Amino acid sequence: MNPFGFLRYHLNVNLLGKSFLRLDRMRLSRRMRRTGFWRDEHLSPPLLTSPRLKELISSHYLKGRYANGHCPVAWVTSGGPVEFLVALGYYVLYPENHGAVCGIRRSAEDLCILAEGHGYSRDICSYARTDFGAMLGGKTPVGRLPRPDLLLCCSNICQTVLLWYRVLAHHFKVPLILVETPFLYRDALPHQVEYVKHQLEAGVEQAERVAGRTLAPSALDRVARLSKEASLSWAEIMACGKQRPAPITAFDEFIHMAPIVEMRGEQFTVDYYRAMLAELSGRIERGVGALANEKKRILWDNLPIWYRMRRLSRLLAERGVAMVASTYTNAWGELAEMMDSSRPLESAARVYLHPILNRGTGHKLETIKTMAKEYQADGIILHSDRSCKPYSVGQMDQREKLAGEMGLPALLLEADHNDPRVYSDEQAENRLEAFMEVLGV
Amino acid sequence: MALSTRTFDRLNEIFYVVPMSESSGEIAVPGRIETIRAYKALGGKVAAVFPIHYPRALFRACDILPVEVWGPPGVDTCLGDAHLQAYTCPIVRAGLSFLLQGKLDLVDMIVVPHACDSLQGLGSILLDFIKPARPVLPFYVPRGEGEPARQFLVAEISRVRDELCEIGCKSPTPEEISEALAREERADAALAELLARTANLPTSDRAFYRLVRSREYLPAEEFEKAARALLVRKTEKARPGIPVLLSGIVPEPGEIFDAIASASGRVAGDDLCCSGRRLYAPGHGNDPLSRMADGLLSGPPDSTRGSSVEERIAHLSALVERHAAKGIIFYNLKFCEPELFYLPQLRQGLQAAGVRSVVIESDLGERLSDQTVTRIEAFLESVA
Repeated sequence: MNPFGFLRYHLNVNLLGKSFLRLDRMRLSRRMRRTGFWRDEHLSPPLLTSPRLKELISSHYLKGRYANGHCPVAWVTSGGPVEFLVALGYYVLYPENHGAVCGIRRSAEDLCILAEGHGYSRDICSYARTDFGAMLGGKTPVGRLPRPDLLLCCSNICQTVLLWYRVLAHHFKVPLILVETPFLYRDALPHQVEYVKHQLEAGVEQAERVAGRTLAPSALDRVARLSKEASLSWAEIMACGKQRPAPITAFDEFIHMAPIVEMRGEQFTVDYYRAMLAELSGRIERGVGALANEKKRILWDNLPIWYRMRRLSRLLAERGVAMVASTYTNAWGELAEMMDSSRPLESAARVYLHPILNRGTGHKLETIKTMAKEYQADGIILHSDRSCKPYSVGQMDQREKLAGEMGLPALLLEADHNDPRVYSDEQAENRLEAFMEVLGV
Repeated sequence: MALSTRTFDRLNEIFYVVPMSESSGEIAVPGRIETIRAYKALGGKVAAVFPIHYPRALFRACDILPVEVWGPPGVDTCLGDAHLQAYTCPIVRAGLSFLLQGKLDLVDMIVVPHACDSLQGLGSILLDFIKPARPVLPFYVPRGEGEPARQFLVAEISRVRDELCEIGCKSPTPEEISEALAREERADAALAELLARTANLPTSDRAFYRLVRSREYLPAEEFEKAARALLVRKTEKARPGIPVLLSGIVPEPGEIFDAIASASGRVAGDDLCCSGRRLYAPGHGNDPLSRMADGLLSGPPDSTRGSSVEERIAHLSALVERHAAKGIIFYNLKFCEPELFYLPQLRQGLQAAGVRSVVIESDLGERLSDQTVTRIEAFLESVA
């Protein structure tokens, strides 16, 4: 940390930025409370906590903008064991979340094209291409991304991330911590858990060296506890979707999941989700659904199609189809109970081995079946995501099983989570129309 | 006496590797099916093994002959397409189709090493949904480094040994594993020598790679014998042609060799997953499983093992220098993420070192297009 960096950070983030973002949040909140703010006949108004989400995300990227020179910066994969980095005072950036922001803001396509111009194939993950485009061109809708001092790659979401982070490590010439999580075809075996634990221990040492400070056990305990609290609250939020009518849809969750992915282990994240949960409880008490008229309920499997969220959400809402849950958002809450903040590294080794994407296709099918029952789903959309093979491979068999064994109508929707060039509105909507006819709406 | 020892005498009679003809200099090696039938006729078991890295010696010590499945090319993928999306690796789709067509009915088990997301998915859907009549054994090769990765790999090899015993395969003694390991290490040394002396061997690239790729299914001794039969014929004078390196997963379709030859080129060395990236060094110590793990982790830099870009640039540059290659052809299978991610930085690093390269995309199910052949010709002309 240098004095100039310290001053610049506090001036821009704590003094100016924080005040501006707070005012902006208050302005938005006032606007949302005004009569006539919301005129949509199919969708209920957005949650009143939404302006707070905007404040959190903006604040996160604002901190990132001025992080270099103020604190160490780590770029981390979305399923990475971030707790020890937060406890060491790192600013943590998630390129995948940044990719999603670019997808929503419709700048991913340009960034992908830029990366492709530098030789990256269209056949690699569109998040990675978005990230490479931002890395090579320096453009991003969030202003500026901080340069990493360290990279942390955890392979529990795919093997692609290791290849992606090798490219980042070569570009930025910074150390890469690899936490490799052997894929679990069946239950975790002792040697698999031990391997992850050893890597975490080595990772902590490396992160300490880069940060130039030692990890305080009390700090790790605190962050691990907050991480667990946030995950538990997130799980409760998603469980609200089991109510009829569902007060929240998976489309809302895709947006509101940002803090649980990139701000785990922070008190403000816990506070935010508690506030959101309170608001949803209020909706449940009043019988307010996310849709004005919920007729059917469906599940979503895989990443969202970021650049078509609004359009798809509207298309379904117009027919009274509530997308009440998704396996994707569920992944950030389903392991909360496994976390043991009194044994942070040991429990992290086990927790980070078990995300849905690091487990077999049969396990995913069982998860979907359980969710379908608990959420009383009438059908499921399986997003066959060209950019995410580990999530998509197996869907064809899963669809057959869901339809055959559960009688659950299942649609395989071909798309890509961040690259709109491989998505056809007409084709996708035609298929969705046919699917909704099968559902009887 | 263990089959792995007893078999060799009989296999010698069956295979008796000899040069096909003095003029062509080709070494005759039996095909996969012949090899499988011969091995099974002697009471051995056969494992169909998907790419890329796995402990060959362990299988041999259990009297199981590993026969690798790299597609194969030209398979109608309709049956596989009912389970896998079109954007999945062509080797995996072809391999699954091959299995579903009953073409692997001869084998006793299926082994799926973890090399990428597509192979991971294949292993998973075989275990969870397709459930073929024969056992499916996944195997995880670590990408990490150092002692934790080594310890993990030893435990993983041990797990596979236990599973093989559980499904009724022979439980090998440490001595039998050591013997099998020694045979594999000799075969690996012969492969390394073959690849090092490519330029001086009197054979075409196509015939050479037919021999090199018989390492994918021949018993180690038979491969070693075949390799030695060619190596004794090495000449002082290098083969004519513009020397180039071939990098990628597998040289399929094999027409790439014809295209290179017709443009006056020759393959001087390779960085292929099926051959050059499996030049394992012998392991250390007396414990055979540890030794096996050391060997597997000693292979050259490989995208599927998550090697760094720097390691790969250094390795490719060294290969170029060693073989006096004029350039590199990256022969890339469609949708192969491990290879695709590295390409821009690899090519940039190589260019900075004065090494020119070209990327050729291929698909197992398709022939090389005229346009691709023209690109290869243009590349060879430009580096000549």
